[in-house]
Amino acid sequence: MLKLTKVSKIYEGKVAYRALTDIDLEVEKGEFVAIMGPSGSGKTTLLNIISTNDAPTTGQVEIDGQQPHQLKKNALAKFRRNQLGFIFQDFNLLHTLTVQENIILPLTLDGVRASEMQNKAQQIAKSLGIGPIMNKRTYEISGGQAQRVAIARAMIHEPKMLLADEPTGNLDSKAAKDVMKMLVSINERNKTSLLMVTHDPQAASYSDRVVFIRDGKLHSEIHRGESRQAFFQKIIDMLSLMGGEGNEFSSIRV
Amino acid sequence: MNFRQFAFRNVLRNKRLYIAYFLSSMFTVMVFFTFAIFAFHPAFSEGSVNKYAIFGMAVAGGIIYIFSFFFILYSMSSFLQSRKKEFGLLITLGASDKQIRLMVFLENILIGFFATAGGILIGLVFAKSILLIAENILIIDESLDFYFPALAIVVTFVSFIFLFFCISVLVAFILRTNKLVDLIKGDKQSKGEPKASIVLSILAVFLLIAGYGTALYVKGASVVFVMIPVIIVVTLGTYILFTQLSVYCIRLMKKNKSIFWRKTNMLLFGDLSFRMKDNARTFFMVAIISTVAFSAIGSLYGFQSYLTKGIKEINPYTYTYSPFLDDSEEIIEQDIQQINSIIEEEKIDTEMEEAELVYFDTTAEESSVLIVKASDYNRFAALISEKELHPEENEAIVVEQSDAVITGGQKASDILMTSSVQLENGQEIQPSKTVESAVGLGITGYYVVNDSTYTELGTPGRTDFTAAWNVLDGNDNQLIEAGRKLEDQVEHKVFAVDYNLYEINKAYGPILFIGLFIGIVFFVSAGSFLYFRLFTDIDGEKRKFQSIAKIGLTQSELKKVVNRQVAILFFSPIVVALVHGAVALTALSRLFNYNLTVESALVLGSFAVIQVLYFLVVRFIYVKNVIRTVF
Ligand SMILES: Nc1ncnc2c1ncn2[C@@H]1O[C@H](COP(=O)(O)OP(=O)(O)OP(=O)(O)O)[C@@H](O)[C@H]1O
Ligand SMILES: [Mg+2]
Repeated sequence: MLKLTKVSKIYEGKVAYRALTDIDLEVEKGEFVAIMGPSGSGKTTLLNIISTNDAPTTGQVEIDGQQPHQLKKNALAKFRRNQLGFIFQDFNLLHTLTVQENIILPLTLDGVRASEMQNKAQQIAKSLGIGPIMNKRTYEISGGQAQRVAIARAMIHEPKMLLADEPTGNLDSKAAKDVMKMLVSINERNKTSLLMVTHDPQAASYSDRVVFIRDGKLHSEIHRGESRQAFFQKIIDMLSLMGGEGNEFSSIRV
Repeated sequence: MNFRQFAFRNVLRNKRLYIAYFLSSMFTVMVFFTFAIFAFHPAFSEGSVNKYAIFGMAVAGGIIYIFSFFFILYSMSSFLQSRKKEFGLLITLGASDKQIRLMVFLENILIGFFATAGGILIGLVFAKSILLIAENILIIDESLDFYFPALAIVVTFVSFIFLFFCISVLVAFILRTNKLVDLIKGDKQSKGEPKASIVLSILAVFLLIAGYGTALYVKGASVVFVMIPVIIVVTLGTYILFTQLSVYCIRLMKKNKSIFWRKTNMLLFGDLSFRMKDNARTFFMVAIISTVAFSAIGSLYGFQSYLTKGIKEINPYTYTYSPFLDDSEEIIEQDIQQINSIIEEEKIDTEMEEAELVYFDTTAEESSVLIVKASDYNRFAALISEKELHPEENEAIVVEQSDAVITGGQKASDILMTSSVQLENGQEIQPSKTVESAVGLGITGYYVVNDSTYTELGTPGRTDFTAAWNVLDGNDNQLIEAGRKLEDQVEHKVFAVDYNLYEINKAYGPILFIGLFIGIVFFVSAGSFLYFRLFTDIDGEKRKFQSIAKIGLTQSELKKVVNRQVAILFFSPIVVALVHGAVALTALSRLFNYNLTVESALVLGSFAVIQVLYFLVVRFIYVKNVIRTVF
C-alpha cells in the first residue's frame, strides 16, 4: 500500500538541516501503524512527505503503486484529495461552515451531486455518533466532537489511506479513547490503511505496529501481540529505553 | 527590550499592514497638497480669475480636507481592527492600558509625520504635471508656470500635522473603551453569522424602486424639488440593500444545497455571509462615495456639453449676422463690409452667403412663419455641406428645429405639419414631410418650397435678413480673435461660435477642474477602502486556504475562489454606484430636457473601465500573496 525507499529530507536554510535519513518503511493494506519518537525526531516531517504536502530530498514514495511526488501540482492536489484522508491535531475545520458542510467539503470540490453528498454525510455521521450536531457551527462543539467531525471529513471519500498527526493531542483521555476506538473500527471495517503519529502510548497501543524514529532515523519497531495491555507496556519500555531525556514524555496520560 | 524598542520592532514586523495605512495617508496628503499648489498659484491671487472661482476653490479645499479626515480615520480604525488581537495579547502579557495607548499614539504621530512629509515630496514631484493638466483644462490667459509652492507646503504641513494629531488623540481615546475580552477575541470567529430580516430586505427593494421611480418619472423643474427626498430614500435603500438584502440573498442561496454545495461555492459564500457585516459597511460607503463621484463628474461634463453642444448646433456657421428689425439696408451693408474687413484683417479665409428671410401668415399659427425658397436653402446648405432639398412644385417641406432649442410643449414640426402654406390664388399646399437639418435659418422650424412656388406666395408679413460665414482656412486663435472683435464692434448682431465657446469654457474651466479633482479623489479613496477591506482579512484567508490545501486544493481552484471573492468585493458596490449614477444623470437630463446618454455613458464607462483595471491589479497582488504562503 505504502512503500518508502531511502527517503531523506534536508531542510535548506541558513544552516541546512537533515531531518530524515534513509527511511525505509512499508505499510500493508489495512494495516494500522503508529509512529513515535521524541520531539524533533522528524515524525511530522515524515508524515508530511507521505501526505505529499512536502517533497523528499532523495528517495522514493510509492502509494498504491503510484508515485505521487512525480505528479504535477494540480494533479497532486487531486491525488491527495481522492486517495488520502487527513486528521490533524488542531482538527483543521473551517469555522465559517457548519459541521455537515465541513464533512462534505472534499466532495464538493469534486462536483459530487448534492443528494449523494447528503446521504454519505448522514451515513458517516451516524456511524461516528455526530448526527445530532450536523447543523452546528464548529465553535459550538467540543474538542472530541470536532475530532470526530475531522475523521468524518477524512473518511467521506473512502480514501485508501488515512494519515493522522497526533489526533488525540488536544483531547482528554476519555475523548482520546473514543476517537481511537473509532479509528480502529474504521480500519477494521473498511480495510483502510492507517498511519498515525502520536506521543501518547495509550493511543499507540491501539495500532498493529509501532515504528520508533530518533534523530531522523528508524530506531526500531514493535508488533502488537495478543493483549493491548502488554503492548502498551512494551511501548512504554521502548520509550524509556530510547528517550535519553526522560521528561520528553512527561505528558503521557495513562 | 524596553517598550519603545518593542513598539518599533512591532512596526517593522507588521510592515504590510503599516504600509497600507501609511500609503493611503500619504496619498491623502498628496492629493490635498497638489490641490493647494494649484489653488495658491500666483496666477490666481494676482490674475484676472474671478472671485467666484477662488471661492469655489476654497470650498473644494475644505471638502477635500474634511474628507481626508474621515478617510484617514477610517483607514486608522480598520488598521487597528486588524491588530486587536495583538493588543489583547500585549495586555495579557502585562502591558498597561496606558502603555498601549501611548504606543498607538506614538505610532500614529510617527506615521502621520512621515506620511505628511512623503505626501508633500511626491506632490512636489508631480507639481509640474498637475499644473500642466490644469492649464489645459482651465482656459486662462495666464500660463500656470511652475513655482516653488512655499505657502502650499506650509498650509499642507500644518493642516495635516494637526489632523494626524487629532486622529491620534481620538484613536487613543476610542481604544480605551474596548474591553480586554473584546480585544482577545479580536477576530469574528464567535460572532456568528449576521441575521437578515425579510421585512427590511423588502423595504430595501421598495425604497430603491420608489427612489428610482420618482427620479425617472419626474420631469423638468420638479426634479429639483424631489432631489433631496430621493437622495435620502436611495441612500437609505442602499444601506439596507447591503446590510439586509444581500445577507438575506446569500442565506437563501446557502439553503439551496444544489447551488451552495457546488464545487468551490461553499468556500466562497460560506465566508461571504460571515463577513457580510463588515463588508456591508464598506460596500455602502464605497457605493455612496462612488455615486457622488460619478454624479458630480457626470453632471459637470453633461452641463458643459449642454452649453457648448447647444450653441454649436444652433450655430453651424462660424459667424452669423442678423440685423435688428428696423435696420435699414444701408446699415446692413455697412455692417457686412465691416465684418468682411475684420475677417480679412485676421487673415481668415471664408465663404459667405446672405439671404432675405420672408415670414408669411399661415392658417394655424398666430405668428407668422418663415418660408424659404429652395435655392436660398441650398446655398446655405452648401456652406456646411448639408444635403440639398429639392421640393416639387406645390410641395412644402418642413425643416425641424434643433433639439438644443428649449421649448415647452409641442415640437415646431408638429405645428407646421398640421398647418399649410397658402398661395396667392387661394390654393393651399399641405406640407409633405419633415427633415432634420443643420441649416438653421430660423430659430424655430420653417418651410422650404420650390422657387417657382415661392413667387406665388401671398403678401409677406415681415422680412428679415441673414448672412453667414463659414471658415475655409484659419486656426482657432484667429477665429476667436476675430470673433472677439466682431462681437465688440458689431454689437449684438454678430454671433461668433468659437469665441462664445471659448468664453464659456473659460468661465466653466475652474468648476470643471475642481469637480474632476474632487470626483477622482472620492473615487480613488473608494478604491482604497476596498483594498483595506481585502487586506485586513488576508491572514485569516491564508490560514483558511492553508488548511484546505493540506486536504488537497488545486491552485486553479484556489484562484477561482479568490478571483470571485475579490470580484464580488470590487464590483458589487460599483455596479450599484453605476446604476445610481445612471439614474441621477437621467434625472438631470430630464431637468434640462437635454439628452445626456452619450455623456453619461462616457463618464460611467470610463469609471467602469478604471475599476476593472484596478480590480485586475489588486487581484494579481492578492492572489500572488495568498498563493505564495499557501503553496
Ligand atoms: N520547515 C522547516 N525548516 C527547517 N527545519 C525544519 C522545518 N520543519 C521542521 N524542521 C526541523 O526538523 C526536525 C524535525 O521536525 P518535526 O516537525 O518533523 O519533528 P516532530 O518529530 O514532529 O516533533 P514534535 O513531536 O515536537 O512534533 C526538527 O529539528 C525541526 O527543527
Ligand atoms: Mg510534530
